[in-house]
Amino acid sequence: MADSHDDGHHSHPPYLIIFWVLCIFTGLSWAADELQEFIPNMGVLAVIVLAIASAKALCVMLYFMHLKFERNWKYVLLAPTFILACGLPLALLPDVGVHYYDIDVPQNSIADRVAEMPEDGDAESHAPGH
Amino acid sequence: MGLAIPNSKLCMWLFLGTEIMFFTAFIGTYLVLRLGSPDWPSDVADTHINVRLGGLNTFVLIFSSYMVVVAHEAMTLKDFGKAKKSLWITFVCGIVFMGVKGVEYYGKISHDIVPGHIAETEDQALRKLVNEFRESRDEMGRALFVPGEDGEVPDLSKISVALRGELSGATDESRKADLQAFVKLEDRLQNSFLIVETDPEGHQILSSDQARIEAARVAFSKLEKAATAAKELHAAAIAKAADENREAPADPGIVDPVPPTTIGLSAAVRRELLPLFEASHESVDREAGHHLNLHITGLLDEMRSEENARIAAFFSVHDPHPIKYGNVFASTYFIMTGFHAIHVIVGLILFAIVLKQGPALDEKWTDFVENSGLYWHFVDLVWIFLFPLIYIIKF
Repeated sequence: MADSHDDGHHSHPPYLIIFWVLCIFTGLSWAADELQEFIPNMGVLAVIVLAIASAKALCVMLYFMHLKFERNWKYVLLAPTFILACGLPLALLPDVGVHYYDIDVPQNSIADRVAEMPEDGDAESHAPGH
Repeated sequence: MGLAIPNSKLCMWLFLGTEIMFFTAFIGTYLVLRLGSPDWPSDVADTHINVRLGGLNTFVLIFSSYMVVVAHEAMTLKDFGKAKKSLWITFVCGIVFMGVKGVEYYGKISHDIVPGHIAETEDQALRKLVNEFRESRDEMGRALFVPGEDGEVPDLSKISVALRGELSGATDESRKADLQAFVKLEDRLQNSFLIVETDPEGHQILSSDQARIEAARVAFSKLEKAATAAKELHAAAIAKAADENREAPADPGIVDPVPPTTIGLSAAVRRELLPLFEASHESVDREAGHHLNLHITGLLDEMRSEENARIAAFFSVHDPHPIKYGNVFASTYFIMTGFHAIHVIVGLILFAIVLKQGPALDEKWTDFVENSGLYWHFVDLVWIFLFPLIYIIKF
C-alpha cells in the first residue's frame, strides 16, 4: 500500500522553517500579552491571539501532520467531526452563553440584597449570611 | 481498493477525529461558560496563571513536535540512530512539559484553587476561614494527643478536654508549651466572632456568641445616648445664647457613634441594630467590612507569627476573599489541562515503546512512529489553543 505523502510527487516540507515560524508565532502571542496596555480592549487581544493560534494550528496540521499532501479522504474524515464539534458549543450557547433573562445568582446579588434590605419588616431573607 | 494509506494510519486519523470532538466538548463548554458568566477570575493573584510557564510549555511542545517529524523522516530514510536520538529529545520534552505542569498544579492546589473549595461570596470566604481555623485546631489536637494503652483516639471534643486537663499538671517545659499553644489557638477561635451558626430557618449564618452581641449592643446604646445627650446640650446652649443675644457656642465636635461591626452579627440582631444608625446600609456595610478585614488580618498574622511558631506549624488558613466564578474557572482549567496532560502521558508511553526497541529498531516501526507522531501533533494542537484561551485572554 503506497503512502500518499511518500509517492515522490513532492520533497518533504521545510520542517525547520515551520518550526521557526511556530516559534515566532508563539513569541507574538507572548508579546501581545505583554503589550496589553497598548491594545484597546480584551476583545481585540482575543482576536489577535486566537488568529495567531489558528495560524499555528494550520502550520502544524498542513506540514507536521502532512494534511497538505494527503488525498481527498482527509475532507471526508475530518469534515463531519468538525461540524459535530461546532454543534456542542452552539447548542449550549442560547441557554448558558447568551442570557436572554437577567442572571440571578448569589455571586452577583449579595450586594444588591444588602442594599435593598428593609429597615424593618422581614429582613431575614435579605440579610447576608443566607 | 481502499484508501491509499496504511490501515493503522487510517485508524489513527479516525481516532483523532473523535479526539477533536472530545476536546471541543471541553474547550467549547469552557468558552460558553466563560462568555455566559457575568464575571470571571482574571487577577493572577486569584488564578495563579503564569503566562511565562504557559509560554515555556508551548515552546517545549512545538520543539518536541518538530523532533517527531525529524524522527519520522529519519525512519523513512532508514537512519534509525537519528530517529532514536530525536525520539529521546521528544520524550525528554514531554517530561519537561509534565514537570512545568506539576509546578503549576502545585501552586494552585497549595492555594486551594480547587473546584468546590473556592469562596465566591463574602459569607463563603468567612465560612471557609472558620472551617480552616477549626481544621488547624483539630489537626494540632490530634498531633498532640497521646493515645492511652488501648491505642484509641477519642473524638475531638474529648481530645480538647484531655489536653486541657494535661496542661494543668504538665511538668515538661516543651510539652507544656505545646499544650499552651493548642489552648491559645482554641481560645482564639472561640473568642473570635467568626462562628457559623444555624438560624431558626435552618440557614447557616455567621454569628457571634450572644455575650459579645449583647456587649456590642450595650456599648453602642451607651455611645448613642451620650451623643444624643451631648447634642441636646449643644442645642440648648445655642438656644440660650440666642435668647441672651450672645454668640453661639462652638460645636463640641461630638459625632454620631461609629456603627459597630455588624457583619459578624446574626441577621436578627443586625436588623435590630441597623435602625439605630443614621447611616446608609451601604456605609454600614463598608464600615463593617473594614473592621472585619482588620480583625481577620490581625488574627491570621498573630497565628502565623514567630511568637506562635508552635501554632504556625499546624496553621494552614488561607487569607479569605471571595473569587467570583472561581469554582467554574478551576473546574474548566483542571478538566482541560488535566485531560491534555493525560494525553501527554499516553504519548510518552508510545515513544517509550519505540525507544525500548533499542538496536532492534528497524523499518517495521516506521508506521508506528508516524502514527505516534500524528497523535503527538494533535496533543500539540490542543495546547496551541489552550495557551491563549487559558493564559492570555483575561476578561
